Amino acid sequence: MAITAKTISDNELFFGHKACAGCGGSLAVRHALKVFGENTVCALPAGCMSAVGFVFPQLCFANNAMITPFAATASVLSGIRAGLKVQGLDPAEYPVVGFAGDGGTADIGIQALSGAIDRNDDIIYVCYDNEAYMNTGVQKSSLTPFGAKTTTTPSGKNVHGCLTQKKNMFEIVAAHGISYAATASVGYLPDFLKKLEKAANVRGTRYLHVLAPCPTGWGYPVDETADIAKEVVDCGLWYLAEYENGQFRLTRNPAEFTSVEHYLRRQARFRGVDEADVAAIVAGRDAKWERMRAEWGN
Amino acid sequence: MIEVLWHGRGGQGAFTAARLLGAAAALAPGTHALAFPSFGPERRGAPMRAFTKLSDAPVGDRSAINQADFVVYLDQTLFAQGWERELKPGGRALVNTTHSFDDPRILSLDASGLSLEVLGRDIPNTVFLGALAVLCEGLQPDQAKEAVRQYMAPKLHDANLRIIDRVVAQLVQGEAAAPATGAAPAEVGKASNCEAGTPAAGLEALDQPQPPANRRIPTLRTPPADHAVYARNTCWDAGHLVTKNAGWRTQCPVIDPAACTGCLKCYMDCPDGTIYKVKAATSVTPTGGGEAAGVEKSTPNAGTPIAIDYDFCKGCGMCVRACRFGALSMIPEGGQA
Repeated sequence: MAITAKTISDNELFFGHKACAGCGGSLAVRHALKVFGENTVCALPAGCMSAVGFVFPQLCFANNAMITPFAATASVLSGIRAGLKVQGLDPAEYPVVGFAGDGGTADIGIQALSGAIDRNDDIIYVCYDNEAYMNTGVQKSSLTPFGAKTTTTPSGKNVHGCLTQKKNMFEIVAAHGISYAATASVGYLPDFLKKLEKAANVRGTRYLHVLAPCPTGWGYPVDETADIAKEVVDCGLWYLAEYENGQFRLTRNPAEFTSVEHYLRRQARFRGVDEADVAAIVAGRDAKWERMRAEWGN
Repeated sequence: MIEVLWHGRGGQGAFTAARLLGAAAALAPGTHALAFPSFGPERRGAPMRAFTKLSDAPVGDRSAINQADFVVYLDQTLFAQGWERELKPGGRALVNTTHSFDDPRILSLDASGLSLEVLGRDIPNTVFLGALAVLCEGLQPDQAKEAVRQYMAPKLHDANLRIIDRVVAQLVQGEAAAPATGAAPAEVGKASNCEAGTPAAGLEALDQPQPPANRRIPTLRTPPADHAVYARNTCWDAGHLVTKNAGWRTQCPVIDPAACTGCLKCYMDCPDGTIYKVKAATSVTPTGGGEAAGVEKSTPNAGTPIAIDYDFCKGCGMCVRACRFGALSMIPEGGQA
């Protein structure tokens, strides 16, 4: 049975945390744990969710959770899984789940993740993507999109924020031939829940990439997180897709996109982009969607 | 030495004001100043402190100020019991509030009102910069204005200079604050429209720490958590976030039972999980830790399918935005609806 608002567990396993008001990342972790359940064993590298979840002597996770070295999320998950196996605990009942940010996944933790997927360890890796190193005060990661202002990609007269494109982490992971991978957004929670549930029931390495807006780092009012997370999908700058049995599939294929410019202009981080930048972003979006629609079907 | 202790929330500009005050004083030859912040949880909206030390000799003591000549509260929800312990003899507390107090040590300023009027945003820091330029011995309002010109971005000059002029004129004329009913600080806290989660109540709870009755640290082999007592058990024991309100919120959501359809969109969108489903027959009554600490969750109105745990709500307003039926709205924390 599909998990919905009515049927989802009432248990709040990630509660009392210190995340900023309106935090998209904590919303992603909250729902992931509600789906995976209280037998979940979590590992989190340095990042917002570990900073806000583990405040000695308080633990904001009601399930077992630990902090890993920054680069080691996936390795630690592999180790936990091996330990549970020795204890005879069934991986279907005791999920081993990592929550890492975009920096901890696409920059610092990518080789450990690659190794775990290669071994097909029975773990779930959730990347909550807020598109920069938010915990340390907004520095560029390789998942920061073009044009976004961070403290390391300042925006001025000559350079309008981040010069690089967002790394295609989902397809990098899929290229390993992973058991299950999906993208999601906290603006489309039913879709996210469906993918969480699916991930829980697949064996082998599973990867979920969930876009999680950050009001502090992106520069928008704190109550707009869900709205922004929805708009980024609606305007085509993020996509909802799955990779399963060697096949890609779009789980949402909008007939028409909403305005990219509207999405960019409501965030302070894109204040530096000009008309030409917006046109380049739109062109990049159209090229990507043309390829996805041609190759991924649906 | 004049010492100023600033209480504010991340984003209110307390440290900026602390720095500007130091810069203003240091404009006078032979005057030395030191300003530094102390962040607890380094998050927007979280309580923080900043310190300014002004002296006619170099300032060597770089430690936090425990007792100050002036204690500034940029947010009235931070002004609660025990405030007088932070004052030196003869010291004064400056509070951003529309209340007035029967206490000569407290100076009320409607700084939020003034900054909303002039800046169009509730960033009350330079109101207090102007006030301190009047109150601090040896400091001139012109120095504060020069500090604004030298240390703030040019586009901010105009409005902030007008704010300083306004507050200086107000203080010089002795119109400290619009008269309202005299109230003790604790009563200000209790004036909250939210049923739970005022800072004052939080302080009371802190005064009598009692461990939760059914403490439970979940492990792989413990039985399923009971949702009704869950939050108390796992979160009550420590840290600032586990005290009531946690001092994060300036606005709080309220539910209109008549308009709520029970669609649960707000429940889904809450990043903090503070909206909970109320079962028709067995409405959630907190037990264990909650009662032990002398607090209660908000009492759900009969028939409303959801309720809000004000102890942990941060007032982000995502629930209000999620509601398509207008059943949720934000009201000021500790103020009049």
